[in-house]
Amino acid sequence: MANVSEKKKKRNYNNMAYLFVLPFVVVFLIFSVYPVLRTLFLSFHNYRGFGEMTPAGIDNYKRVLTDKFFWRTLGNTIRIWGVNIVLQLGLAFLLTIVFSDIKYKVRGLAIYRAVYYLPNLIACTSVAFLFKTLLDWRFGTFNQIISTIYKFFGATYNPVNWLGQASTAGNTIAVISAWMWFGNSFIMLMAGVQGISKDYFEAAAIDGAGRWTVFGKITLPLLKPILLYVAVTSLIGGLQMFDLPFLMLGKTDAAYSSIQTVVMYMYKFGFETGTTQLGYASAIAYVLFFIILVVSLIQFKFFGSKED
Amino acid sequence: MKLKKLVSLLLVAAMTVSLAACGSGNDKKTSSGDENGTTEEGSVDKDALVIWTITNDQKTQAEKWAEETGNKVDVTVIESGDYPTKLQAALGGGSKDVDVIVGEPQMLEDFFDAGFFEDLDQAPYNAQDYAGQIVDYVWEVGQDSDGVQRAISYQITPAGIYYRRDIAQNVFGTDDPVEIGKLFADYDTVLQTAQTLKEAGYRCFASDGEITYFSGQSAWVIDGVLNVDQARYDYMDLCVELYQQDLTAYASQWSTPWYQAMSGPVPVLTAEDNAWSEDFAEETADRDTTEVFAFGLPSWGVLTLRDNVGDTSGKWGVCSGPAYGFGGGTYLGISTFSEKKDLAWDFIKWCTLNEETADWWIEDSEGDTVSLVSALEKHADDENAVYGGQKLYQFWQEQAAGIDYSKVTRYDKQIGDAWGTAISKIKTGEMTKDEAIAEFYDTVEATFPGEVTVNRD
Repeated sequence: MANVSEKKKKRNYNNMAYLFVLPFVVVFLIFSVYPVLRTLFLSFHNYRGFGEMTPAGIDNYKRVLTDKFFWRTLGNTIRIWGVNIVLQLGLAFLLTIVFSDIKYKVRGLAIYRAVYYLPNLIACTSVAFLFKTLLDWRFGTFNQIISTIYKFFGATYNPVNWLGQASTAGNTIAVISAWMWFGNSFIMLMAGVQGISKDYFEAAAIDGAGRWTVFGKITLPLLKPILLYVAVTSLIGGLQMFDLPFLMLGKTDAAYSSIQTVVMYMYKFGFETGTTQLGYASAIAYVLFFIILVVSLIQFKFFGSKED
Repeated sequence: MKLKKLVSLLLVAAMTVSLAACGSGNDKKTSSGDENGTTEEGSVDKDALVIWTITNDQKTQAEKWAEETGNKVDVTVIESGDYPTKLQAALGGGSKDVDVIVGEPQMLEDFFDAGFFEDLDQAPYNAQDYAGQIVDYVWEVGQDSDGVQRAISYQITPAGIYYRRDIAQNVFGTDDPVEIGKLFADYDTVLQTAQTLKEAGYRCFASDGEITYFSGQSAWVIDGVLNVDQARYDYMDLCVELYQQDLTAYASQWSTPWYQAMSGPVPVLTAEDNAWSEDFAEETADRDTTEVFAFGLPSWGVLTLRDNVGDTSGKWGVCSGPAYGFGGGTYLGISTFSEKKDLAWDFIKWCTLNEETADWWIEDSEGDTVSLVSALEKHADDENAVYGGQKLYQFWQEQAAGIDYSKVTRYDKQIGDAWGTAISKIKTGEMTKDEAIAEFYDTVEATFPGEVTVNRD
């Protein structure tokens, strides 16, 4: 009898666990699951945010796939992200090589790490305002510095309108974005390097392996999981790029159509006065989701197969 | 053991409460403070009249109203870009928490269609009884497509050209607003005036966007069809010419150099100038003291210039532009779901139809242009010192009389932006005129499929 009561007590006590996770589950259902399902539902309807909601079948998806401006914004997004990721990961990798080299033995890693990470801590609005001012075509400090350098060598510099022309605006934003994020990638890559057993490096040194052999045969292969993580998260973040380009150019600027990203295009239909078409915005969100999913799977496959 | 359970339960409760707290109250940007019946910051009194607005004007007005009537008010000022979303979320769900809502002209059509604004023609409001008391175009803006009155504004916002009287006297031999208005009578004349000013060592405008408020002769969309009238093309050509012929000071509207141009000399560059070359100072010696002649802004620009003209105060005048136009304006209405509609109507009437309020508002806002006809007439002879003693209320009333509100549609912002992008691409050489116009058509077609028909010329 006593045994049964003890069991019951135990069971009751176990049931208490559900109570503990209940707040999370409730919040998760309301703020994560519901919006995802609601967006899916909306994507099959025409709805302006008020008034009547009419079923649209797959029309919104058809419209996304045939909308040249959607594909243009996707192209812009990939182009900006591509330049950004090359610079961001390239710089982070370079720094990782320097800081992980057992022969260099660079001191003060913690300080460097903090300094490199600092741009990531500044609010994007501040970064956008700062660079808009620095890169001003007519009176910006950046053009002034370049001009001074030109003058030093006896040449004349024709100021570049960094944010005012399609040929430079996207790349400029990619560089700023790389500046903001390279510290983050560096920290993750360094964490990966520090997780590699020192035995490998010592053994390689005893065997007389050179710096590049150590990097190519030990560091790089063992960094692969971290690299995959950095690449996937960067891709997801990159394809969702919004704040920096949105803040740096106005809608009537000549270069706006060359920096408008998919999420900016979605925002136009989701939130802007006069163009609110929630069904279409939701369809864009889902198409973007599938694109990210497919590209992420390709990345996993690419990195995974080599790991095997 | 019991204690452990109790502590665990308390922790869970605390977490739930904190999560719940996360979900509320974060939009309470402003709440009128006070002793005069307005509610405390962050709290909403059940008896208080709740106002959701986009400007601080209603905060000031609500405080005064609360002081006079003893009613309680709670004002939330929401950034105008977020306002439609916020209102849709609340009223779309039938929220009874909001009593007075507002909207700018381009937002109103959507809000009216959504049924958010109460019908003010019905009893006990009977708004039509007050029809003649408010400037005509403002009264019309507040009506839905069936002519039902749903909102009223306390201000008018006709556009005008603000110009420097001293430069006018120097270049054109007169500073009379009527005579100067003739120099801006149409786009060709504007271009001619700009060239004359350039030859005299001045720049006509700080930016090439000063004529925006006077562009277009008809609506962007008529009966569901995109309508690009000749005036739009002329406006496009004018902007391109102003930019490419160095007739402006190359300052973007609302940028620091743009404001600086109101108070005196600004550095002026041409599209070809190299600001950092060694010979720049020499090359631009005759231009570096150039002053800007005019700005095109709605009546609220009276306050913008007043705050930025510095030593040029008193040397300004205002004249008519190439067309009648207006920009902005805050329209007040009652939420359909409000449970304090009578109180809300009292507040709206107090803000818009009360002459004493209008007198106070003119004084308190230091020059805002009210919509109440009797107040405008009463102040018609008021002279504004910043503008050389010009009788501005008389002028704005005349300009308002010419406004054709039928030009305004819910598509204006997006189509206007697309047209602005086309203009930017042409003037900077990114695209030819034909390419930019073709892309404009594509943009409109892709943005409003099945809603706006595009007939390409």
